[in-house]
Amino acid sequence: MAPSPRQTRKAATRQRVIEAARELFDTQGYQGTTIREIASHAGVSVGSVFTTFASKGEILSEVMEERLEGFYAELDRLVPHLRGSTADRLRSIYAIFFSVEAPRTRLFLSHIAAAFDWTLPPTARPYGRNDRVRALLMETLIQGVSAGDVDPETDLAGVVELLIAVYGWTYHMVVTEGADTKTMTATMDRQIGLIADGFRPR
Amino acid sequence: MKHISPHQVAGESSVKMPTRRALAKQQTRAKVLAAARRLFSESGYEGATIRDIAAEAGMSTGAVFANFTDKSDLFREIMGADMASLTDAMREAAGRGRGVEDILLKMFTAGYAFYKGQLPLARAAFSVSWAPQDGPVLRNAPQVSKLQDLITEQLALGVQRGELSQESEIKLRSQMLFDAYLSNYPQAIFEGWSLDALQARARDQIRILLAGARRG
Repeated sequence: MAPSPRQTRKAATRQRVIEAARELFDTQGYQGTTIREIASHAGVSVGSVFTTFASKGEILSEVMEERLEGFYAELDRLVPHLRGSTADRLRSIYAIFFSVEAPRTRLFLSHIAAAFDWTLPPTARPYGRNDRVRALLMETLIQGVSAGDVDPETDLAGVVELLIAVYGWTYHMVVTEGADTKTMTATMDRQIGLIADGFRPR
Repeated sequence: MKHISPHQVAGESSVKMPTRRALAKQQTRAKVLAAARRLFSESGYEGATIRDIAAEAGMSTGAVFANFTDKSDLFREIMGADMASLTDAMREAAGRGRGVEDILLKMFTAGYAFYKGQLPLARAAFSVSWAPQDGPVLRNAPQVSKLQDLITEQLALGVQRGELSQESEIKLRSQMLFDAYLSNYPQAIFEGWSLDALQARARDQIRILLAGARRG
């Protein structure tokens, strides 16, 4: 069934808001952008932003989601071709993450902060509650169990949470220590090595 | 905490006692902090305004600003006090443990127990800690550093006792342990994990993170 004119209009507004928000978030940051500015940049009224989104946090969550959509598709294509030990494959996956997310570090930090936002609707997918990333990491570890370099006794879900936690921390290094992407990637590589020491069969 | 009535102050003017004015200021601060704690827990950091906090405390916004520079100052003060009590609780828990793994697990569990009754405030703290501006200030607060130092200290003691090897990469490992400790809060906050579930997960994570440092 074709969408009604009203639905089409609503979808168009939604898209315009997301695009305007993406540009403003990239140039002036999440904190520094108001809903009013997003509305004016998108050429819609503040009211219609609020009929489409519950909060600024939800807009951010949508912006990030959309940005990651293409990236996940690429990841799904690449992951089956990754070679090497489980640790190496995890490093490759995170190298891809960094290449996409590190250029917008501050926005990414806001994205993590939004995970604890009060105003987020249950449908939003903030950092750490993304099932696709979890599933991808879990799959990589399960392959490691079959390949024999991950101890089957390991709490794999615990490893996944660890990876997500330490990856988030590398973004903190940017703000607290002024770390660049190279330093972040190198730190993540060491962290993965250290975690791999813990899941290696002995 | 010591409570001093104004009568005592008047009667013992020769002893160095806080003035009536200083006491009133202290009481105002305590009232604002209690109101802020309630509102941060109810509506989060972003959702609670100084105006709401003043109203909740039954005073003017001017009176709030006379005691605190801004909202983030207020929040830091609350977190600072909590972190100090938390550090004490963790240090006490560490004293009851045997061996690095058990010590860390007891410390983490003490932390989860401490926040179990005030998860909304923990949630607000996480939100602030990731904000690009306020985050680093909170994360680098001396009380937070002390908490992290406590973990580092336990790893160093583990090396001293010969449980862990000399090449244990203590700095990175203790940072990761701290992250592991924090990483389980979302499960507690959003999925209602019990203390037992948190403890079981933390135990597995501590084991993983210590495995490479074990001797032999």
